[in-house]
Amino acid sequence: MIYDIALRLTYRYASPATGGRHVVRLMPVARPGLQRLIAGHVEIEPHPDGRTDRTDFFGNATTDFGFRGAHDGVALQLHARVDRQAPAPPGPATPLARLAAEIADVDSLGPQSPVHFTAPSPRAMVDAAMATYAREVTTPDMTAADVVTAVGEALHRDMTFSAEATDVGTPAADAFAERQGVCQDFSHIMIACLRSLGVPAAYVSGFLRTLPPPGRPRLEGADAMHAWVRAWTGKEGGWIDYDPTNALVPATDHVEVAVGRDYGDVAPIKGVLRVTGRQIGSHAVDMVPVD
Amino acid sequence: MSAPATPQASTTPVSNYRPFPGVMDEMIGPDGEMRPHWAGLMAHLTGREPEALAADVARGEQYLRDAGVFFRAYGRNEQAARDWPFSPVPVILHEDDWQEIAKGLTERADLLEMVMADLYGPGRLVAEGHLPASLIAESPEWMRPMVGVAPRGGHFLHFLAFEIGRGPDGRWWVLGDRTQAPSGAGFALENRVATTRVFADYYARARVHRLAGFFRAFRDGLAALQGPAAHAAGSAAGILTPGPMTDTYYEHAYIARYMGLSLLEGGDLTVEDEALMVRTVAGPRPINVLWRRLDAGWADPLEFDESSHIGTPGLMAAVRAGQVTLVNALGAGVLETQALLAFLPGIARATLGRDLRLPNIATWWCGQSRALAEVRRQAARLAFGPAQATQVAFLGGAEGMQAPSDAAARDAWIVAQGPKLIAQERVTLSTTPTLSGGALVPRPVTIRVFLARTPNGWQVMPGGFARIAERADATALAMQQGSSAADVWVLSEAAVPTETLLAPQSAPFVRAEAPALPSRAAENLFWLGRYVERTQGVLRLARAYHGRLSEDGTGPLLAALAEMLDRYGLTAAEPMPEGLFATLASAVAAASQIRDRFSVDGWAALSDLDRTMKRLSATLRPGDDAAAAMGVFLRKIAGFSGLVHENMYRGHGWQFLSIGRALERGAMSADLLAAFADPDAPTGALDLAIELADSVMTHRQRYAVMPSRGSVVDLLALDPENPRSVHFQLAEIREHATAIAGGRHKAQMSGLVRQARTTETRLAVATPSAMTTAALRDVRDDILALSELLGDAYLQ
Repeated sequence: MIYDIALRLTYRYASPATGGRHVVRLMPVARPGLQRLIAGHVEIEPHPDGRTDRTDFFGNATTDFGFRGAHDGVALQLHARVDRQAPAPPGPATPLARLAAEIADVDSLGPQSPVHFTAPSPRAMVDAAMATYAREVTTPDMTAADVVTAVGEALHRDMTFSAEATDVGTPAADAFAERQGVCQDFSHIMIACLRSLGVPAAYVSGFLRTLPPPGRPRLEGADAMHAWVRAWTGKEGGWIDYDPTNALVPATDHVEVAVGRDYGDVAPIKGVLRVTGRQIGSHAVDMVPVD
Repeated sequence: MSAPATPQASTTPVSNYRPFPGVMDEMIGPDGEMRPHWAGLMAHLTGREPEALAADVARGEQYLRDAGVFFRAYGRNEQAARDWPFSPVPVILHEDDWQEIAKGLTERADLLEMVMADLYGPGRLVAEGHLPASLIAESPEWMRPMVGVAPRGGHFLHFLAFEIGRGPDGRWWVLGDRTQAPSGAGFALENRVATTRVFADYYARARVHRLAGFFRAFRDGLAALQGPAAHAAGSAAGILTPGPMTDTYYEHAYIARYMGLSLLEGGDLTVEDEALMVRTVAGPRPINVLWRRLDAGWADPLEFDESSHIGTPGLMAAVRAGQVTLVNALGAGVLETQALLAFLPGIARATLGRDLRLPNIATWWCGQSRALAEVRRQAARLAFGPAQATQVAFLGGAEGMQAPSDAAARDAWIVAQGPKLIAQERVTLSTTPTLSGGALVPRPVTIRVFLARTPNGWQVMPGGFARIAERADATALAMQQGSSAADVWVLSEAAVPTETLLAPQSAPFVRAEAPALPSRAAENLFWLGRYVERTQGVLRLARAYHGRLSEDGTGPLLAALAEMLDRYGLTAAEPMPEGLFATLASAVAAASQIRDRFSVDGWAALSDLDRTMKRLSATLRPGDDAAAAMGVFLRKIAGFSGLVHENMYRGHGWQFLSIGRALERGAMSADLLAAFADPDAPTGALDLAIELADSVMTHRQRYAVMPSRGSVVDLLALDPENPRSVHFQLAEIREHATAIAGGRHKAQMSGLVRQARTTETRLAVATPSAMTTAALRDVRDDILALSELLGDAYLQ
């Protein structure tokens, strides 16, 4: 399925900022066999004083740029055409009891290695409540892939999608205590649960098809950037994706932008703005199939 | 003075010294005889009477207090600076022993560089099974943005410290590697100076290897890293500090001053395109070498901890672009992980083909089955810690973990912890003599040794920083827990050359251009000038108030003075007003941010005033007593101003300080004149105005009449020759502002200069009668507005 994706991110400052640097991760990544970037570019306004496009540790397309002088905001415009395939069926998953031994046998620090995704990370800290919950909705005889489905489905059942309950800075533990949140919260909670059970889990940012195919419901999260979870199910099973906000395995309706340990590694824009006033942000996404 | 007047031989500090059985002692050999290299110092000690020795020690402690060496102790809710825990008796080592240590640590430094290059490069150690992938990946100090980044200049590591200790068999063991931002080299220097004060008569003939050569070599190393172009352009290398709230800030300021480096905080730096720049009063200036004393996690909020407010956005981009050398590279902290000690011996055998000359303490990571089995077998004699700990387990500290004492419970605990756990051998550390109640007692010791990369390879500081435990057991060696610090003497067989940091006389002489002043330093100097001047102003006000209190308890003039004191935040009724402390505290705070920019004497004068004020505050009585005390304080603060004025280099820093002083003095004078030269002011107000401006004699000589409003306004506002007049202050501001702008706005007069000149002209053409109360208040406001113009122009 080929999509045209358009994203506009706008930040306006109440008073002009002097200087500033940003790091942006917006461009969909190329993933052999799954996703191909046909063409794409990121426009920055106002024109930055210096820009570098690069790839980060996890292979995400990353843009650094800076402003020297005064400016009263920043706007980013992404245009991309992406060819997205459904993932091939994964290999057999490893029983949970044997997963630790397989992780210990890993002898690579490369970006695909599961060892990066086992420890708690700043935005996906494991707390006792989540660990208990994760144990309760799984059984010790499950495979790692069964665990992923069980935790994902349980969270979808027990949590309410609410755009008002949390914001980008809400800790996962708070969202879990309220059993409310958006895709970012669903994903962080699921990641913390999986890591507490010993399953390596990563955070994926991306886009969802804006209008569903005829006869299918519109997915939650389609009007903004979306997030889901990637988990390692063993040497044979490898990595599988799961979208806990919609309780499904991402296929051709999802387009991946970046992967990391949690939101902090893949945030669409980072930057210290030397401003005193308030920032006002807006965020508009459109992802439509090309006929 | 309870000590006996004539000490008996049996009561000398040395004679009762008894090492613990079965423990290696640095001074007394296994045969009970003193090792020869200790004999000289001990003979010197034995020859001192107890009072003389106590005075010697006090001299060393006084030096540290005067120099402002303190140690910031962290409590639960507060942090307080407390006196440096100085132990005057040095640890003495023979240079032959030292050579072995130096060779072993040099070898280890090269090994660590190789491991670092591999962990951030090809990753062969992990791929070939010498290091477990998960141990590295779970380290919070393995910095993913550094993977694949080649360091500018080719090396990751440039300045290292190693914690070493000696076991019962006399062998030295490495207890920990300090690679992130090792502290202590500056403290080692200060300990050395303090120790030489204690043993002043003896040190000069003691053949102790000097430390200055090490710092000179390291400074040469930094200059080489800068490259000839940057070095010739007068760009100094910098020290990147977390700022005054960090426990080792004193050391950062001290080393910066000692080595001639810029002391910089993250906010002093900015990244333009991909070049690292210092924000200075002359605009951004490039810098390409930073001795990093800030942990990597805080260094760049765009790539590491997002919540850091003490880093520099874009620093990692500058590193990636090869624009800056960090000493040491970001990510070097991963090498401090204690669990690596389990693998370094194997890595050495695999890469060097032999064992390390200097072994590290035996360590096991419980995430591998063979190590786990070994640990379970030996558990009773091992110490435990978290796998990511950076402190050696048996010395405890905050990171220590207590295993269950019951054998079965302990075994289950070890298995359950698994990869989260390391186990380490317990070493009975050697002891060294330390003074306790006038006698020498043996106490466990570890030594921190420093290595610097120089154009001629690694150099080892011939000395170091010894930590001495407070109690006979070694578990409390962390400085936070009450250990003390001692100098380390490496004794030479031959005479040692005296060294200083200065270049030899044969070297070509260059008058280096001072590097541009960082904006933050300029801002602190400006405020230091203002606050010191304001402190003087309010001291004069308080003195005038208390001086009149006994004669004129309730008069209108006293009421006017009380009201004026209140305007400056002081409560007249308090003999030692709280507001005075607050003003002085602001001055001290500004000064403490720029400790590297003025002399030790200047700092000592300021902290002496602070101490004296605090000491007297409890007992001071209102009236003459308080007035006399204010006079004492005024003379002390004049001492500080005098030292600064006499000694400070006439660069931009001095100009900002001078503008601050002139601005505060001008504004305050105009304010006081408006009040006390007002036609409706109470009787005696004109005399008061002259007194507050310290111009009683001048007025008498110039006018030879009783003060009138005209004569007072003329002298204190308009007279261009009176250094206390408002007019004089504006001329000062204009001159300094012109000098600062000289390098920057050649064509155009700066807004600051223009405003200063406008107000100056107004005073130059005014007559005393035109200088009404309202006009004086206008002038005051114009002067205060200069502060903002200065801020806009230079201090952003």
